[in-house]
Amino acid sequence: MLQTKCDRAASPRDAAGCGVEIGLSFPFLAAPPPAFLPGGASLDETLRGAATGDAHAALAETLLRHLPGAAPTRVYVGNETCERLLPTPRAIRAWVASAREGRLALSLVLPPLSRDGLAKAEGVVRALEGVEDSEVVANDWGTVHRLRSLFPGVAIVLGRLTHKMLRDPRLADRFDSPLAPMSARSALCRSGELAPGFRALMERYGIGRREIDPFLQPLEEDEWEGRGERLSVHLPYQFVTMGRGCLPAAIHQEGKGKFVAGGPCRTECAKYSVEFRLPVPGGGGEGRRLLALGNALYYAVPPHVTERVLTRLPSRKRLDRIVVAIPAAEGKPS
Amino acid sequence: MTRITVPVSHPEEVEILAAGGAGEFFCGYVPPEWLERYGGAFWLNRRGPVAGNLLQRDDVSLLTDRSHAHGIPVYVTFNAPYYTPEQQEFLLPLIGRLAEESGIDGVIVSDVGFLVELRRALPGLSVHASSVMASLNPGMVDFLAELGASRVIFPRSLGVDEIAALCGAASGRLETEAFILNEGCVFEEGYCMTTHRSVGALCVQLPDVPHRVLPLTPEAAAKLDGEDRAPARGMMGAFRDWVWFQNGCGNSVTERGIPNGPCGLCALYDLAATGVTSLKISGRSSSSIRKLSSLRMVRLVLDLVEGGASREEAAREAVSIRNTPEFCNAGYMCYYREKAS
Repeated sequence: MLQTKCDRAASPRDAAGCGVEIGLSFPFLAAPPPAFLPGGASLDETLRGAATGDAHAALAETLLRHLPGAAPTRVYVGNETCERLLPTPRAIRAWVASAREGRLALSLVLPPLSRDGLAKAEGVVRALEGVEDSEVVANDWGTVHRLRSLFPGVAIVLGRLTHKMLRDPRLADRFDSPLAPMSARSALCRSGELAPGFRALMERYGIGRREIDPFLQPLEEDEWEGRGERLSVHLPYQFVTMGRGCLPAAIHQEGKGKFVAGGPCRTECAKYSVEFRLPVPGGGGEGRRLLALGNALYYAVPPHVTERVLTRLPSRKRLDRIVVAIPAAEGKPS
Repeated sequence: MTRITVPVSHPEEVEILAAGGAGEFFCGYVPPEWLERYGGAFWLNRRGPVAGNLLQRDDVSLLTDRSHAHGIPVYVTFNAPYYTPEQQEFLLPLIGRLAEESGIDGVIVSDVGFLVELRRALPGLSVHASSVMASLNPGMVDFLAELGASRVIFPRSLGVDEIAALCGAASGRLETEAFILNEGCVFEEGYCMTTHRSVGALCVQLPDVPHRVLPLTPEAAAKLDGEDRAPARGMMGAFRDWVWFQNGCGNSVTERGIPNGPCGLCALYDLAATGVTSLKISGRSSSSIRKLSSLRMVRLVLDLVEGGASREEAAREAVSIRNTPEFCNAGYMCYYREKAS
């Protein structure tokens, strides 16, 4: 199991003495990684061993500085953007067994689902019913609606893809400046989720937790604290965009078969990513690096954004979970 | 009968598009107060802040009057991905006036919370769920029906079979709308958190910026030096082609004035068979000529289908009127590639 310094018998909020839960997300793994087994890596080693290197090494240092002794208490299974990576009910049972052995809670992550994907997901969620401390992260309202009607007892978390706000690394940080126009700042540093209509939906569907991104623009205080639900923040990657056609899958697809929504693949996403370096005007030649992970693009936020998120932790009530994505858990390429 | 939903951006376009066979109009409206508050930083809808939009309410009224004279309903789009609470407070009375005084027939929205508020504040107004809401599954159809939406506009990424299934789920509860021509996106618009304002479209830029394929495992690193080296290069070349076709092939019209860009004409037979209520031509900011040319193409193929043409006859005519077989054969310009001829 992942070595921890916390008392796993304690509630996640009390673990590691910081009141903050750490979740590790394995978006491309079909089965529990060896690190779940006794003698596995520590949180520090796990992050430093992530294939995407630098972003995770820096995160490990920052995370442990803010949360000394922090240890994972939850594992995330499934991919937030691709339904081809939906675990089978059998795989979920294996994850549940491993998580139980490692005394970890489990979150099943669902991407925006098609008709077929939703039907499959219902079977997967059924396999999770009754598992203590489990939850389902839904990334579209159709899935929320269907799961709530079929599984009234299941805890549903609203995934970060449903959090509609600007996440464009080309310009979002321009609004992290007092020089930015006030009206634009106020509109782009908050969402529509505090409006009555959205509040009514959260209540109607009994949603007690929402996932958000580490935004480049500083969110207004109400966006953090002016809501009833708990918050989870993802690190180090900010979601930027996704398509239903997949870039890495095109490596082995033929002719017109490339980029077809839901088209066949060899799970190239677990083997390759593509890094794009976007030029930034006035950036001294240093581009913004976007990472294509599967059918989505992500941006590893700079250290000051991570700091800004983690600095909030001691004094804030709503934010009580950090989710760290590990794109590949087999170690760095040689 | 399937209707054709056509973009309109000026009252002067109504007559010519009505004569061309438009069944419905959709337009954007950006009042001066919005521009004063937000300038170009926060677009009121997916086009903006000025291009393709009406800027005066009198123009909305005039456009609506002229359209209604032809029996054509008008829907106004408020489909920004979200509105803050203050923006919603601003928009609700504005939309109320558009309904009561300008006579619009409904609005198109993307923000689920705003949909709830609109239904509460203006229960008599039709609300369409924009494609930006990314309605991909029957659960979403049920969700929208329960919230009181009157129509679901399907996202571009859905295939014809998926549309057929969702039309079945919506039957008797919601009208449905699917894309037929123009304006593409290689990403899922409802899940794209980027902006086109001041920095351009990210998807268009990606093929031309420095990039590299990164292996995530030692085994992949070895393959990238060997058997996967050429396919990985091919992947990026294909991506460049796909983006090019989805974004108007370098020019939004051919030399003969035929619109370039995403197209579902040759799949229209199957699309009409799904029972979809209307077929959407996008491009509010296009020229009047491009709008009319697009409408004529869709009208021609739809009339063939509704007149009893076979799937093959309709598809053959669709490819023929495009007159760019090399583009059709590439496949990347299709909305419904799985049905393309």
